[in-house]
Parts: sequence; structure tokens; C-alpha cells
Amino acid sequence: MRKLLANRERRINLAITIALFLLSLLFVLPLYWTSVFATRSLQDVFSFPPPFWYGDNIVRNYQNIANVFPPFRPIINSLIVAVPKTIGLVLVSALAGYGLSRYGRAPGHRFLLAMTFATLFFPPTLALIPFFLQMSAFGWLNTFWPLIIPAMASGFGVVWMYTYIGSTIPKELYEAAEMDGAKGLSTFFFVVLPIIRPGLAALAVWTLISTWNDFQLPLVVLAEGSRFTVPLALTMLSTTHYSDMPAVMLATLMGLVPVFVLFALLSRQFIAGLTSGAVK
Amino acid sequence: MALGRTGKTLRQMRRDNAFYLAMAPFVVIFLIFSVFPVLFSFYLGFNQWDGFSEPRFVGFENYLRALNDPVFQKAIWNTIYLWFWSSVVTVTLALGLAVLVNEYVAFGKNWFRMVFLLPLLVAPAIAAIILRVFFTSSGGLVNLFIGSITGTPSYFDWLGSQEWIKPLVALLVVWRWTGWYMIIFMAGLQSIPRDIYEAARIDGVGRWAIFSRITVPLLMPSIAFAVITATLGGLQMFDEPYVLTQGLGGTNNSTTTIGMYLYATAFTQFNFGLGSAVSWYIFAAVVVLTLSYRFLNQRMREGAGA
Repeated sequence: MRKLLANRERRINLAITIALFLLSLLFVLPLYWTSVFATRSLQDVFSFPPPFWYGDNIVRNYQNIANVFPPFRPIINSLIVAVPKTIGLVLVSALAGYGLSRYGRAPGHRFLLAMTFATLFFPPTLALIPFFLQMSAFGWLNTFWPLIIPAMASGFGVVWMYTYIGSTIPKELYEAAEMDGAKGLSTFFFVVLPIIRPGLAALAVWTLISTWNDFQLPLVVLAEGSRFTVPLALTMLSTTHYSDMPAVMLATLMGLVPVFVLFALLSRQFIAGLTSGAVK
Repeated sequence: MALGRTGKTLRQMRRDNAFYLAMAPFVVIFLIFSVFPVLFSFYLGFNQWDGFSEPRFVGFENYLRALNDPVFQKAIWNTIYLWFWSSVVTVTLALGLAVLVNEYVAFGKNWFRMVFLLPLLVAPAIAAIILRVFFTSSGGLVNLFIGSITGTPSYFDWLGSQEWIKPLVALLVVWRWTGWYMIIFMAGLQSIPRDIYEAARIDGVGRWAIFSRITVPLLMPSIAFAVITATLGGLQMFDEPYVLTQGLGGTNNSTTTIGMYLYATAFTQFNFGLGSAVSWYIFAAVVVLTLSYRFLNQRMREGAGA
């Protein structure tokens, strides 16, 4: 009887696993098809049944993109924005998170901590219009600066580092460092930074990916096609050359590859980052 | 006396001077690029300004004008529709998946964790482009598929249809976000002690009862977190409908969201005052929803404690 039950249970488990597996394939199917279409000719794509396997038209499709814009230009632009912004954001956040976590008794601490948490509930949309006008006054429109410098101050990043540092660094460490003669900021750079590397990595991956995917702010700030980041350039291509589906798909694929490579390398940190936000 | 306290504060500040140095970069950048624009936006909301001529003070006119604009009314309705359906479907699907993967899948759990998360890596704008390709009226995969089933070629204009465009936007949100919520729920499930389940099974409690009476109540903090993040995102939805309708909001504004309305007033009509007023409506909605979430959360905790 028991064995029978166990058998039945195992079969149910297997059936559900298979059903879930099929559903998961449905989730990646659009991405798979994107990559297949990128290698096919226009005729293949319009035929039925649609091609399920790769073709050999990738070079032609690449040339078709190249007729509209240099295919790697948007990727380089996105890197120019995302890399410095991420480094800056992670450093600024770690510094502030360290300050908030260590100096609980400093005058003004409570106010700054409350302010940082409050920023999480400010919709970015609220500042969009005046930010645009401000950038125009700075003469920063159609440059990468508005996408790099202002974004370095992220309430989300500070809260993240504040909780991370609070949970990984024991207070005694600060006292020990002080006795060894390390002052506040040198303690940060030489003692704290090396310990919190996993937290920095998680925040960095999260920032890189969300910056790569940013759409509204670049849309408002960048005017010239040669400055467009990946999502903007692809949107432009898909509007002006929507009939050339394979070229649009190839360009899409090229824009996705950097993020997917990053995810493949650092998925553990990425997922750890996701869940750490939810624990609060 | 007062002087003594000031002196003490000053001494403490000098002792903790590293605190101010550490906070300085964040605070300075934040003041210049966030606090100042928000204050300026408050000022703009009460003025009429096209960015060139002198701003003109108009009181609450912008706020009233937005409310009386049929397009804005439609945008409110569209935003509520998209927020509601995309959150409900995403959170339910993610919860179901998380429980099923957690309970029934014996091997390859990591596969599910990865695969459902992949769509989140795709920018909303890019996801919208992919969806456009599949749903194009002539030669789109979906129409080809329908044509082969029915035998007559189909040229249905999904993206131009007023009935279908909103579900398509919601589908995009569901596709991108399900994996993220699933991972959050799976982390939440890990924190539920196993022996509660053991005890329930020994007592002969059915699977559905275990799910609805044990899993869901104990997972409530994660579910509440998921709902509030889905709400914050949903209220500001812009990228998906914008790219899917090529910036136009669909036939007859059928999927113009509040975020798109704001963008159009400010950056195509250069009515910065009206746009700012709209952004304060979004802020008000966020505040109201966040506070009611906190209120409900507190009530629930008190209820659980009693």
C-alpha cells in the first residue's frame, strides 16, 4: 500500500514537472524565435510553418542593419552610459550605506536615514519634466551626462548597501580598526570595501541590467540617432524598417547578448540581489 | 545650558566627521538632481509654461484642465486596467509556479529559476518590439498560425485593435515579471518551517487546504511586497505601451497610460505646467496606495498576533 502510494506520488510529481517544463519553454520561445529569425531571410520568416531552426542569412541581415546605422554604435553608447554610472552608483551607495550603518549617533543621522527611505516612494516620473528643463539649462541635452551623473545618487542603492553592511560587518570591527589607527574613511576603503565585495557585485549587476534596459530617460534626453542607446536605436529601427523583420530581429539579438552574457556570468549575484530586497 | 548642548553636538559632529564625508556625494547629487527638480515641478504645476516665454501663474488651472480632458480620463482608466490585470495575473501565476516548483519538482529546480527570469533581462522596449513582430497584421506569426488553422489567410490588426491592445500590453508585463515574483515567493517559501507541513499531512489535511490555509497566509509578507512593487511600477507604466503603439497610444488612445499622457503633454505639446500637474497626480496615487498598504499590513500583523 505504502509503496503504491509512493509510486502514485512520484508519477504526479513527474507529470507536474513535465507540464512546468513545457510552460517554461513557452516563456523562452519568443527569445528562441528571435534568434532563429535573425538568421533567416525575409521569405523564410513569412512562410508557414515558420522556421524552427537556424538559417544562413545572418550576413545579409547584418548588412541591412548597417545600411541604417553602425550596428555596434548603440551597444558602445549603452556601455559608455552603463559602466561609469554603475561604478559611481555602487561607490556612492556603499559610502553612504557605510556612513548610515556605522555612525548611528552622529547628529543628523536620523533625518538622513528617514530621507533615504522616503526616496524609495518617490516615483521617478515626478522629476522627469523639471529634470529635462534642468539638463537643458546645463547644456547637457543630447549628451550622456544626464544618464550618468544624476543616477549615481540612488536611494535604492543606499538602502541596499546600508542593510548589507549592517548585516555583514560587526561593530567590533570598527573598534578594532580604530585602535589600529584607521580613521573613518580609510576604514571604509581598506577594511569595509574588501569585505562587502559580494554585495557590491549584486548591486552592480542589478544596476547594469536596469541601465541597459532604460528607455524613458534616454528618450527624453537624447535627440541624435548617433547617440542612441540600445533600446532607443532598436525602437527607431523597428519603426522605420518594420517590414525587414529579420534585420530587426538580428539587431534585437545583438542588443540582448551583452545582458545575457552578464547574467550567465553573475546570475547567482543577480538572484541574491533580487531576494535581498524582498526580505525587508 | 543651551550653549553646552550645542558644544556637545559640535564635538560629536567633529568626532564623527567621517559620517558627513561619507554621506556627502549622495546628498549633494541627490539635492541637485532630485530635490531641486521635484520642488521646481511643484512650482511648474501652478504655472503655464512652454519653456520659452515667461511662465504665467494660473493657480489650479492645470490640475482642473487635466481632470476635464477626456484623454486624461481615458488614460486613468487604461492605467487602472493595465495595473490591475497585469498585477493579478503576474502575482497569481508566479505564486502558483513557485509552489508547484517547490513542492513537486524533484530535480532541476535551478532550470525553472533561470528560465522564468530570462524575460526580465529583456528591456521592456525590446520585448515590445519582439511582440510587435509576432502580432503584425500581415505576415505576423500569430496571423499565419490562425490562417493555417482556419484555412483562410488572416490579416487581423492586433496592434490597431482597441479590444486587444490592452491585453497585449498586460501580456508583455506578465511575460517579463512572472519569474521575478516567482523567485521572491520561492525565497519566502524557504522560510516556512517544514514541520508545519509534516504535521498537516499527518493530520490528513488535503493539498488545497494546505495551500490556502498554511502557505498563502504564511507567505503574506512576500505577497504584499509583490503587490506593492507591482503597483508602483504599474502606475508609471510607459515603455511597453509606448513602443507597442509606436508612441501613439493605440487607436483612439485605447492604451494611452498616465505616464504616456504626461510625456505627450510635456514633450510633444511643450505644456510643461500641465505635465507637472499630471506627475503630482501620479505621486498622490502612490502615496495613497502606499499608506493603505502599510495600514493593511499593520492590521494584518495585529490580527496575526491576537
